[in-house]
Amino acid sequence: MNIDFGFVIPYLPILFKAAGMTIVITVLSQAIGTVLGFFFALARMSNSAILRGAVWTYVLIFRGTPMLLHLFYVYYAAPAVGITLEPFTAAIVAMSLSTTAYNCEILRAGLQAVPRGQIEAAQAVGMTWPRILRTIVIPQALRVIIVPYMTNFISHTKGSSLASVITVPELMLTAQMIYSSTYRAIEILTAAGAIYLILTSALSLAQLWLERWLRYDERGLSRRRRRALLLLPRHG
Amino acid sequence: MIEVAGLTKRFGESVQALAGIDLTVQPGEVVCLIGPSGSGKSTLLRSINFLEVPSSGLVRVAGKRVGFREGGGRDRRLGGRELAAQRAEIGMVFQLFHLWPHKTALENVILGLVEVRGMALADAARLGHELMAKVDLAEKMDAYPEHLSGGQRQRVAIARALAMRPKVMLFDEPTSALDPELVGEVLAVMEKVAAEGMTMVVATHEMGFARRVSDRVVFMDQGRIIEQGPPEQIFGSAQSERLKRFLDRVLV
Repeated sequence: MNIDFGFVIPYLPILFKAAGMTIVITVLSQAIGTVLGFFFALARMSNSAILRGAVWTYVLIFRGTPMLLHLFYVYYAAPAVGITLEPFTAAIVAMSLSTTAYNCEILRAGLQAVPRGQIEAAQAVGMTWPRILRTIVIPQALRVIIVPYMTNFISHTKGSSLASVITVPELMLTAQMIYSSTYRAIEILTAAGAIYLILTSALSLAQLWLERWLRYDERGLSRRRRRALLLLPRHG
Repeated sequence: MIEVAGLTKRFGESVQALAGIDLTVQPGEVVCLIGPSGSGKSTLLRSINFLEVPSSGLVRVAGKRVGFREGGGRDRRLGGRELAAQRAEIGMVFQLFHLWPHKTALENVILGLVEVRGMALADAARLGHELMAKVDLAEKMDAYPEHLSGGQRQRVAIARALAMRPKVMLFDEPTSALDPELVGEVLAVMEKVAAEGMTMVVATHEMGFARRVSDRVVFMDQGRIIEQGPPEQIFGSAQSERLKRFLDRVLV
């Protein structure tokens, strides 16, 4: 059998649509996992031993078991206790549970990297904890977080292919269905691989851009803010 | 202006950082805390604005109990907002500056005005300019802390604390982390602040500053006040053995 990549062309619209599903389940679960992970990270740093213990146990379990198992659990095991979910919903739930555990630890590392003294200085001028978090801790934590966070995001993008096993029509499942009916595995898998690479490359580029943007001292203030702070006239 | 009574602080079982401190500071008074490392100077300052929670005893600033609400026979810890409001009245300058590295010098100075006092950016900036001029850094407003020298950083930190118009200023060894040639510029700014009538408590190893600027010198050792009095008395006719030994070591 000869290899003919031209064969893929008629299937591209289907593959792109499937890639759209990959993007949706990845981004949605990552977004949920980021918000939850943030609050879990705060809980992990709280004064309450119960909260800390609960989050520690959560991370232990969901970082310590495969996402494939989470997917099976939510889709195949949950109905036994009366919870029946559509494949899409089940995928979002399972993938969110999984990535939350990683994001919790990544965000915590960033939040804890801000030196204690800077927080005390903010307390000393009379800032409350939410303000300190917003103006002092988070802006600096972002710089620490960005590399591991994007690494996890990319890893999660590839991991979304596991949702194929619970029949979510994402890129991997769609590619499998095409080559099992056409026997053009090399062409289709290469095309699917290329699409994954495009998606993850976009994230890598986003990371580059974010890293540069977060170098505040090189970037400096925006022109508008600088003008306002230096009391310069609006034009000139 | 500041009243400290029966203040103790333990860290764990074994470390007694403060072993019963009584100290009253009058409005406009400049008090220097001297004493060997580990004598409790820092812990005392940090207890005054509740960065350390005292094990027992009480602190009042401008008549208000710091960190607690009194009444009903039982003292209750203040919530975050109330405590923050109290701290805004108490300026603090740290040994290691603790400027926020992601903010320019001017932003460091005015952040509290904007965030805590809710001042408009333009008004805060105007006040910030005055303060930066006061600490002789008018041309460094745009600089990030990492591009400033230690002395410049500490002067920004002083301006940051002054911006809140505090009732008292606490200085926790403000020049101990500086190269010797940069100490003078920071002390000069502190003298200026003292001359304007600010109530100040300064933990310091700068005996020259203590002698020249303070109204009263307090010598601490092992968490206790051993001796206090006007600088002439402390440096001229020390009573206790411990103070004499300490002065022999530091006044070479």
